[in-house]
Amino acid sequence: MEMNAKQHKYGMVIDLDKCTGCGACMVACMSENNVPFKKDESNKRDSITWMRVYKISNGKPYPDADVCYLPRPCMHCEGHDGHSPCVSVCPATATDYSRETGVVSQIYTRCFGCRYCMAACPYHARYFNWWDPVWPDGMEKTLSPNVSPRMRGVVEKCSFCFHRYQLAREKAIYEGRDEVAEDEYQTACAQACPAGAIVFGDLNNPDHQVTRIVEPDPHHHFTGHSKKAFRLLEQLGTNPKVYYTTERQWVRKILGQYNFGSQAAAHGA
Amino acid sequence: MSTKDDPGHAVSDDAADKKGGATILLFFILGVAASLVIGWGVFPRLLYSTKPQPFNFNHALHNEEVGDCESCHFFREDGTFSGVPTLAQCTDCHEDVMGESEDETIFVEQYVWKEREVPWHVYSRQPDCVFFSHAAHVIKAKMACETCHGDIGTSTRLKPYQENRITGYSRDIWGYSIAGFKTHTYDRMKMDDCAECHEQAVGSVDQAPLTGVVGRHFRQEVVPAIYPPDRQAAAGSSVQTQRDACFVCHK
Amino acid sequence: MKLDRRSFLSFVIGGAAGTAVTPLPWKLMDDVSIWSQMWPWTPVPPDGAYTYARSTCTLCPGGCGIAVRKVDQRVVKIEGLAGHPVNDGGICPLGLGGPQMLYSPTRVTGPLKRVGPRGEGKWAKISWNEALAEVADKLTQLRDDGHPEQLAIFSGAGQGTFSALLERFMTVYGSPNLVRPATFEDAYGMAVYRMHGQQAVVGFDLENANFVISFGSGVIEGWGSPVRMIRAKSLWKDRKVPLVQVEPRLSNTAAKADRWLPIRPGTEAALALGLAHVILAEGLYDRNFVEYYSNGFEAWRKMVLDGFAPDKVAEITGVSRDYIIVLARDFAKAGAGVAICGRGRGTTPGSLEEAMAVHALNALVGAINRKGGVWALPGNEGIRWPEVEIDETAANGLQRPRLDGAGSGDLVDAGSLPNRFFSAQAEGKADPVKALLVFEANPLFTQPGTETVKKALDRLDLLVSFSSLMDETAAYADLILPNHLYLERYDDVVAGTGLAAKVIGLTQPVVAPRCNTRHAGDVVLALAGAVGGPVADAFAWESFQACLEETLADDWDALSEAGYVVRKIQPAYWFEAFPTASGKFEFAGGYRPVPIEGDKGAFPLVLIPYDGMRIAAGPVANTPFMTKTVGDDVLKRQDVLVEVNPKTAGALGLGEGQAARLSTPRGQARVRIHLSEGIMPGLVAMPRGLGHTAYDDYLAGKGVNVNTLIGPVEDPASGLDAAWGIQAKLAKA
Repeated sequence: MEMNAKQHKYGMVIDLDKCTGCGACMVACMSENNVPFKKDESNKRDSITWMRVYKISNGKPYPDADVCYLPRPCMHCEGHDGHSPCVSVCPATATDYSRETGVVSQIYTRCFGCRYCMAACPYHARYFNWWDPVWPDGMEKTLSPNVSPRMRGVVEKCSFCFHRYQLAREKAIYEGRDEVAEDEYQTACAQACPAGAIVFGDLNNPDHQVTRIVEPDPHHHFTGHSKKAFRLLEQLGTNPKVYYTTERQWVRKILGQYNFGSQAAAHGA
Repeated sequence: MSTKDDPGHAVSDDAADKKGGATILLFFILGVAASLVIGWGVFPRLLYSTKPQPFNFNHALHNEEVGDCESCHFFREDGTFSGVPTLAQCTDCHEDVMGESEDETIFVEQYVWKEREVPWHVYSRQPDCVFFSHAAHVIKAKMACETCHGDIGTSTRLKPYQENRITGYSRDIWGYSIAGFKTHTYDRMKMDDCAECHEQAVGSVDQAPLTGVVGRHFRQEVVPAIYPPDRQAAAGSSVQTQRDACFVCHK
Repeated sequence: MKLDRRSFLSFVIGGAAGTAVTPLPWKLMDDVSIWSQMWPWTPVPPDGAYTYARSTCTLCPGGCGIAVRKVDQRVVKIEGLAGHPVNDGGICPLGLGGPQMLYSPTRVTGPLKRVGPRGEGKWAKISWNEALAEVADKLTQLRDDGHPEQLAIFSGAGQGTFSALLERFMTVYGSPNLVRPATFEDAYGMAVYRMHGQQAVVGFDLENANFVISFGSGVIEGWGSPVRMIRAKSLWKDRKVPLVQVEPRLSNTAAKADRWLPIRPGTEAALALGLAHVILAEGLYDRNFVEYYSNGFEAWRKMVLDGFAPDKVAEITGVSRDYIIVLARDFAKAGAGVAICGRGRGTTPGSLEEAMAVHALNALVGAINRKGGVWALPGNEGIRWPEVEIDETAANGLQRPRLDGAGSGDLVDAGSLPNRFFSAQAEGKADPVKALLVFEANPLFTQPGTETVKKALDRLDLLVSFSSLMDETAAYADLILPNHLYLERYDDVVAGTGLAAKVIGLTQPVVAPRCNTRHAGDVVLALAGAVGGPVADAFAWESFQACLEETLADDWDALSEAGYVVRKIQPAYWFEAFPTASGKFEFAGGYRPVPIEGDKGAFPLVLIPYDGMRIAAGPVANTPFMTKTVGDDVLKRQDVLVEVNPKTAGALGLGEGQAARLSTPRGQARVRIHLSEGIMPGLVAMPRGLGHTAYDDYLAGKGVNVNTLIGPVEDPASGLDAAWGIQAKLAKA
């Protein structure tokens, strides 16, 4: 029996200068992953959006105001050898880090809803089902069988569309090969983005576009080699796998530092 | 109360105690016996209800015609497994009644002509959280269907479908033995049964056999390349369990 | 043996000890834990075979190709079609919403007839035969009375075969009143007509431009073909093509642009002429084009040089004089610069003079029909169907003027003037239309001046909607004859508003119709048959699909397989591009800004609408997923938040999130305030697309429909709606 020839580390780089804030990534993710929806989703504290597009502004007065949109999926933090903050605290082993793919999994049947992981995640990437999802009559037909619909009381989060990897590997095995090609496993958000701002791939594979853009440096905690690509809250040591690029200095400044009471306002979605 | 009032107590106490002790022991044994009977005998009978299949399907007969499992249980071009055949596959031959059995008549009249899918009870149905890849096991690991499903192909009757009243799953998942004992690989289909194989693959570096899926590759290639010597004890892809990560079998 | 307490206890303890060594407690625990995971109301989606079906999205004029993912016969996801010339795999939030529309509880599941007064929401289910008979009766009656022009059609159906079918029907029936929604393409098309001498479809070769000035166009907010434009923006970023966004508000386009040029709203045309001034004064214009291929240049040049010096323009527009000069120079020297206009998505046509000023600016730098410029493309070749034979009734009807006045008198160039249609129908002197059929449109929600539209509809004898979902117009109708949803039907889509290419996409059914609906094309054929006579004779096809196959003929196979065909087009060279009297491009136009409604004294602020990708403002409304993406700085519970500059809000004593009363001469509404440094002081900005009253709780009742607060303002030069806002006031609620 043979294995995959390589160990993967799936990650993403998002070009904030291309992101238009259209929200297609959010809708594609929700559609792909059976994410529930309520009649009133204006309270962003309990609105479940695995991929969320934040809006940040430079805090300057008219006419020098500027805004930037920041898509934020789960960062799939590696931490130190797979010790993501959320994986480290889960008492139910409901969330796990896979060294084979770099993806942090969330298994709903094990989760009992203590929300310790939500407290641990510094990116607010995890969402809790306060209520049972309700699908209006007929809309349950849109549910995909590749992702488990959740019940109330469990935490859910972006999975880098891992079910697509599972299906891509099945296809690869059927065709007699081991490797999943770059275009065979893409997240729903990366696929949908009309601006091409989201690039997804295997950071361990030097031929993948994401690796060429980010150039992760294993000798410096996997930060971007050229410093062009940066990560959020780098100083926390979460070792996330979602990188960002932008040429706007004010955006880099806000995102590269953790500012209490900074002048720039940050809006959810 | 003074002992003066009950002079004959001492003598009858002993006898009563002996008799009481025996009674207690007797009832204890009765309790054990009753619970053993209930737990091992009555409980399994109550727990499972038998649900008849819509009609009988004769695997042996059809296997004679087609010769293998794959004609009806096949891989699609995208690598997914077709599972239990749909009406469209059967109607290639069974547009009308072909043989003489009553079962086939029921099939053709109630289902083919009415264009209704047959509501089979599936013995191997797993919960929604499970991701099982037939491609990985049948094509890659070259496992035989019988290893997990038993020898269905030579059966002339579908075995009775017994459903667990509490969970709604087939008795085949836990296994026929109420205690969960198994003698063959196809006796049970719980997560632990999958883990038996998947567990063999990994373990700590110095202990487990070097054969197997994740283990060999990880120990020989990945671990030395990525992790420094003092952290090479861990070998499985899962950080939590050191075995296969959750997303290997779950979704 | 007596069962006393001790014995009983020992029996129980024995039982417990025995039970512990049976599987019972352990198995029960396992089973109960599984049972607690399997609540019956948590759906387990059935598995099946996965397939992808190709089609073309019709939810906006963009024309993107889509790949619809199905599990057996259920649609579970829509993805952009990789390789498609318009979107190449990308898709917008609305396009992703197809599954939520297909299975929406707001679907009209079969023909409905109104019971009770209009808009009350009480319906009787009727059969298709009954529905068709009722409509046919009215249609026949109008012809019998000798007034076929009293039938009107309002159609948002684009330029494909179905549209052609409607035109054919109206011709042979005898009514000139085929009304389409008007957009910036109408204004720009009229400008091209005046200056080129021909009717043309306007395309912009933006992928090859190297400098773009956008006069308020929502480049990444839905202008033109939305996904194509967003892809173009990314291309510009990669190639370092500058985009200058001219608008009073920091839209997403302005934020993404290389330069945001805040401008006093309504003065964009002055800026265009100001830029022209610099280009003329410094001789930076394309001399070849001007000298050999243009006419009227001297007069126009004088007009510009006299009236639009940078100082003067800076005063009018609020843009700095120095920057006007720099911008003009950069634009002219780029070599492949192009200017676009049409505010936001371009759903309000805007003033003709403004379009002419922008087109003249393009002409000055030689951008007409050149790579990276603006292309005047021939309209549809004209579908080759057999000639219709019109009877006398129809001939008479066709000779009568359109209710909207288009095509005659001063408005002879105009194709369709919906604003005039509704106002004439509501309170005009001419006889109102008696029957209105509404296809692929929702005018009761999307047309500015909702009250007028309502009054217009009230004067109808018969209002029929063909909508698949219960939108506002359908909810107000007398009869609903629901069309298949786009995922359930065949249609051809001439793709891409503003595309410098001709892409024809095929919309194909990916699932069988879910409800008792019928293709509107088939219904039109049936109605024609029912009316009979020459009307019936004009439609020889037995079904719309047959009609479509015949019309698309050679392309049908390619279309069915790939989903689209691309027709290479080459815009005309300058020597043959201008069939004017002079045979050359005519420089023309002036500056007559169209004033907005309202007295500045009573209404000191200005309300402007804005477009975005997360709120659909056209005939197709938000899906629940889309509404979920709307930020809490736009929608809070049921209230819309309007953008106001902190200085303006502060002067009124209004703070962030505070409830306020927004009033305009047309109406008033409760809103909340969002303080934004991204908007000029004195302005109030409200998103289009909220304020629905139909559909269900996932959308209805949220926010305010900006069309109830803003009405159309007719451009005297074109008859089109040129309102870019309205005077308004804000007060504490």
